[in-house]
Amino acid sequence: MVQCPSCARPCEPRLTCPECGAPLGVELDLFAALDLPRRLALDPRELERIYHEAGRRIHPDRFATATPAVRQASLKSTALLTRSYRTLRDPVSRGRYWLELAGEKLAENNKRVPSELAELVFEVQEQLGELREAHNGSANALGAAIKTRRAELEGLVTTTQEELERNFARWDDGAGERQGLVNELKSALSKIAYLRTLTRDVDRALDSATAN
Amino acid sequence: MSRIFGIDLGTTNSLIAVMEGERPQIVADPGTGNPLLPSVVAITPAGEVFVGERAIAMEPHLTVERDGRMHAIGFEGGEAGAVVRSVKRYMGLGGNEVAAEDRHRYSFADFTGPVVRFAIGKRTFTPSQISAEILRALKARAEAALGETVERVVVTVPAYFNDGQRQATKDAGRLAGLDVVRLVNEPTAASLAYGLHQMAEGRVAVYDLGGGTFDISILNVKGGIFEVLATNGDTHLGGDDFDRLLVDLLLADLPPELRLDRHIWNSARLAAEAAKKRLSDRDEAEMSLKLPDREVHKTITRAEFERIADALAGRSLERCRMALADAELRAADVDAVVLVGGSTRMPLVRRRVAELFEREPLCSLDPDHVVALGAAVQAGVLMGSRGDMLLLDVVPLSLGIETMGGVMERLIHRNTTIPTSVTEGFTTAVDNQTHVDIHVVQGERELAADCRSLARFKLGPIELQPAGLPRVEVTFLIDANGILNVTARDQRTGREHSVDIKPSYGLTDEEIERMLEESIDLGEQDLEQRMLIVARNDAAQLLGALTKQLEEYGSLIQAEERAQVEKCASRLEGARNGTDRAYISALVEELNQLTTPFAERIMDYAIGRALEKKSVEELS
Repeated sequence: MVQCPSCARPCEPRLTCPECGAPLGVELDLFAALDLPRRLALDPRELERIYHEAGRRIHPDRFATATPAVRQASLKSTALLTRSYRTLRDPVSRGRYWLELAGEKLAENNKRVPSELAELVFEVQEQLGELREAHNGSANALGAAIKTRRAELEGLVTTTQEELERNFARWDDGAGERQGLVNELKSALSKIAYLRTLTRDVDRALDSATAN
Repeated sequence: MSRIFGIDLGTTNSLIAVMEGERPQIVADPGTGNPLLPSVVAITPAGEVFVGERAIAMEPHLTVERDGRMHAIGFEGGEAGAVVRSVKRYMGLGGNEVAAEDRHRYSFADFTGPVVRFAIGKRTFTPSQISAEILRALKARAEAALGETVERVVVTVPAYFNDGQRQATKDAGRLAGLDVVRLVNEPTAASLAYGLHQMAEGRVAVYDLGGGTFDISILNVKGGIFEVLATNGDTHLGGDDFDRLLVDLLLADLPPELRLDRHIWNSARLAAEAAKKRLSDRDEAEMSLKLPDREVHKTITRAEFERIADALAGRSLERCRMALADAELRAADVDAVVLVGGSTRMPLVRRRVAELFEREPLCSLDPDHVVALGAAVQAGVLMGSRGDMLLLDVVPLSLGIETMGGVMERLIHRNTTIPTSVTEGFTTAVDNQTHVDIHVVQGERELAADCRSLARFKLGPIELQPAGLPRVEVTFLIDANGILNVTARDQRTGREHSVDIKPSYGLTDEEIERMLEESIDLGEQDLEQRMLIVARNDAAQLLGALTKQLEEYGSLIQAEERAQVEKCASRLEGARNGTDRAYISALVEELNQLTTPFAERIMDYAIGRALEKKSVEELS
């Protein structure tokens, strides 16, 4: 139990006091902060609605003339709310966070290339290397080829993400073999994280090529 | 409680505004009617301070007197007193961060300290102290115009201001005796002023090119919630830079030592600024400068000006593209573009912005007023009168810590909605280590040394333990003003660690305290100003009460007595907006005495009525 900084009533740790509606300023897991069950599949529109509605009630701008304790609680709770929304809005960071809560550790670094991507990664890195060496004339043609590659990478991210969200729904419905499903989630998340890093490398290479 | 006012503390001009009912209203100078206060501060060798038009008159410049001779007048800086303009350019900067082209413009105390200091007369002044004078002048203006005290304010800052620049702005408020309830980003404030909350849902780009700073913010507006998606900018790009192009052109043929002369430079700047403004509605402008031994004339066409200024406009557009990329939008996805800042009057700027976003920008509100109006709207939100509106702003630059090998580890990414926080665990590297040093930096570069240092602090004392065992959790919290707060907790004991932060730039709390004391010592003219305001407030209150009493209790006053009271009241009415404080006070005193018997009769009457009422109630 925590004490509400506004009305001093003892209450369960939640985002706001059930009695007076003031923010409690306590740390919560990110699902609890948005008053959501720990589900993997979430509707982004619904998430935004909850975020805006809670934001309107607890934002520090609503407590500009309140006591320092209430202001501090509002600041902490709003920071928590923002973090929850940002983490859960993106299926990839949501999946990672969910696995963390479930005690499943995802490899920290994305250095190890997922085996099914090995060939693609090799080709892309080779092209990027050529682009860095290239002079004005050949750079244009190479740049165009790399832009096609970039679109290909993005397409791959999209399909992997769709697969991820299908598995989210399967998990929530209790379908499929549990540990096998968790492993599939983990592999899809690593794959997306790796593809995102690779896309960023491509963008950086293209940027410096146009800058020169 | 007093109302909250909105202040636009601009590079070139500053304004103060307040909500009047449903609408924000700029408070103009009661004497001149001018809504803008030029952000120019003159300090005499004796330490007297002048702000606005009077300060401009003291700027160093060349003039031809009636005797036909050329005179260099005004304060040159240093011992002779100085006139500081565009002080916002220097806010939050360390001594070594003053741009090369700015170094010759003023006398600085040194180029090494954590804060820029102007050497003026026998003292030094930080940018926060100079900005405080502008804030004080705005406060006095509103108090004189409205007869109420100004204590709490919302102050706007460029969205791209870093932590140090924001802190320096808050310090300025404190030095001016104001409670800065909230800092709001200028483009975000502007979007509030445009009443875009009536928009069901849409994406808005706010392009804000002011006197010294440039901001671009991309917002999503939905049901009264203004959510900033991305912001970008350049805190050293503005109208001043366009002026300098013309100054360079005008002075091109002079020998270098004359070009750096402050009288000549400033006279050239005035001519350049005027020419720039003329080129906004004409095709050609002439700049001329009279020097003791010669006259310099230059004619410039709009096409020529646009050719040399195009690179500056291009710099702002590059920033727009970066903001769009961060918001994951294309230019065509933007539903409305809003222009803010006096520099958006330049046709070149309007054209380039329209081209980029493929639509005509909105500019129905005066670009010089829109930020102050928005600040007043936000003040209304804070006072609780606008429960339907909410601003969700972002942090403009990533925040992180220096890790092994000098690499910057990002803890909070740029364009994260604020307030936001992140908690990071720290431990020791060697056995029995008692302290952990943490270096907080802000910026987008990979190496901490290339980012801007915000602060250093020591965690500890930590209990003596083998390396890697202690766990200290540090929470980095960025508040709604975009300012960093740090707290630390020992994970094992749950004990809060005190965090003694040493800011890399800017002022420490002790320094601000000292400056506050100094300003009280120097505040003679302030005191007189304050007493005048108090006298005016007394007069307004007395006259207001008297009018009501005469209306309600007219039967309690004799015709002859009434005539006497009204005569005195009308004299006070005439005097109360003047500046003769002693006269106003004397009349207040006189009117008080004259109306005392009347007031006593009202009191007796009211008590009698209350007793009557009570006895009736007791009976029933």
